Amino acid sequence: MSGADWLSYSLQDFVMFGPQVFLRLFVRINQDLWPWQLLAVITAIFIPQLILRQNIAARRLAVGLMALAWIVSGYGFLVGYFGPISWPAAWFGWAFVAQGLLLAAAVFAGGIHNSRFSVGEFAVLWLIAVCGLPWLAIADSGQWHAVALFGLAPGTTAAAGALALALMTKTWRWLYLPLLVLWSLFSAALLWVLQTWWLLVTPVATLLLVGAGFWLSPRTAQNPD
Amino acid sequence: MADRFSRRQFLITAGLAGLALKSPVLFANTSGSTALSPIMRRIPGTDESTPAIGMGTWITFNVGGDEQLIAQRIEVLKTFFELGGTVVDGSPMYGSAADVMGEALNALDGHDRIFAATKIWTGDESETRAEAARSSRRWGVDQFDLLQVHNLLGWQGHLETLKQMKANGEVRYIGITTSHGRRHREFAQIMEREPLDFVQLTYNVLDREVEDRLLPMAEERGIGVIVNRPFQGGSLFRRFQSEPLPDWAGEAGVGNWAEFFLKYIISHPAVTCAIPATSKVEHMKENMGALYGKLPDADQRQRMADYVRSL
Ligand SMILES: NC(=O)c1ccc[n+]([C@@H]2O[C@H](COP(=O)([O-])OP(=O)(O)OC[C@H]3O[C@@H](n4cnc5c(N)ncnc54)[C@H](OP(=O)(O)O)[C@@H]3O)[C@@H](O)[C@H]2O)c1
Repeated sequence: MSGADWLSYSLQDFVMFGPQVFLRLFVRINQDLWPWQLLAVITAIFIPQLILRQNIAARRLAVGLMALAWIVSGYGFLVGYFGPISWPAAWFGWAFVAQGLLLAAAVFAGGIHNSRFSVGEFAVLWLIAVCGLPWLAIADSGQWHAVALFGLAPGTTAAAGALALALMTKTWRWLYLPLLVLWSLFSAALLWVLQTWWLLVTPVATLLLVGAGFWLSPRTAQNPD
Repeated sequence: MADRFSRRQFLITAGLAGLALKSPVLFANTSGSTALSPIMRRIPGTDESTPAIGMGTWITFNVGGDEQLIAQRIEVLKTFFELGGTVVDGSPMYGSAADVMGEALNALDGHDRIFAATKIWTGDESETRAEAARSSRRWGVDQFDLLQVHNLLGWQGHLETLKQMKANGEVRYIGITTSHGRRHREFAQIMEREPLDFVQLTYNVLDREVEDRLLPMAEERGIGVIVNRPFQGGSLFRRFQSEPLPDWAGEAGVGNWAEFFLKYIISHPAVTCAIPATSKVEHMKENMGALYGKLPDADQRQRMADYVRSL
């Protein structure tokens, strides 16, 4: 294909579904899973409690729960619901599963540090993400059932999950970073084309929380083992 | 067959009654004898005719496993059939649209009403037959009426196989597609050299480049023309729907903007059919309005093009 041909493509040409179908993915997963998403809500609230304990076992459990959230939102939402209407979404779904496995590996292979850091700020940012971001899908769709919960909706999961950077040792942090950035760029482009303006806040928040994750992480993170 | 025909006629008549209520201008401006006859176009080199308005499925039919939206799309296809449509265009590139079309055809028992057109969309030139077979399973049709090489991807190899498939009776018509005005020079060369039944290209009241070369060439070489992006992907409505139609629209057989855009296209003598896509029953009714009544003549077409440019 010539350069001029490529120039004739717009972002729009690569999005093969409309906003209605996309927003209904949130509604459908919530309807299909009811009432099990309450577990996701409880988990989202429980994670900062664990972090506030400044204790390595609790911290590992928190990261383990985050790992599960990546896997469930990747396999459930992205592969199961989003994948049939978008191939890139299915690929991202498998990448989310891999990200969850990476976090789980960090838990077992000493990738979670033992050092003290500003857990209060972590908890506040976490709660802002898991309590604030879910409403954006409601704002765009006008439907309560579209609530984008942590652990189910990939956007909210990635945004809150970005804070795990604060808990990881240096090497693991760099392994964890690429998907956060790629996902943010992909979803920002997608939401832009779909003109779901409220939801567009989520990838922006994710990138800000990536920054916060690095900022919160202690300079000299101690490997606990 | 006779039974099926009368049922089909009944459905079309019932659908048209609804259309008449929706678009009284259209019917008021047509003589009684033509009001109920869809505008048909002969496929060049054959005795077969197809309705001049078909439908596309890009984006609109890609709804995955969403039962609620699948039910809505079934209604859209039902309306299309009721108003006399037959030509449906798809592609393996359109995600779940082929599966949704298959489900809709099953629900409506529509396999024998449809002129099924899909595409070959793979860079692997040895995959032509396999991909056509996968698509026919997804649509639930025994074979396609028309197979087109999508956006010229791997066209040399695919076209060779398609020619063999046509000779063996595995497909009735073959063609190539492009859109957005891309690769028109190469497209013209293929039209000159290859025995194509159809070409598919972008043409609408704003994107008129094909009027210079491709449409006259298709007419001269006896190649049918399917027009994609008749509403420029919907942007024509976003730009012009808030504007008034010209005073003389009724004289050109036009009662609303959908008819304005579509009748401009199908009144070109080289065009076989336009394939607008929609996810809404109301829009399908508007679009199918263009299949009936008067068409603009050459002068009126020029005025239509001038009018949108003046807005
Ligand atoms: N290279 C290729 O082979 C190629 C490329 C492009 C397209 N195609 C084919 O051509 C078909 C048509 O092109 P397209 O889908 O890109 O664009 P299009 O038909 O020009 O426009 C579709 C858009 O117009 C809107 N619309 C339809 N009827 C309307 C009405 N009466 N009032 C207001 N809005 C209306 C639809 O929205 P609603 O859903 O809200 O009605 C949809 O967003 C495709 O579906 C595909 O089958 C082929």
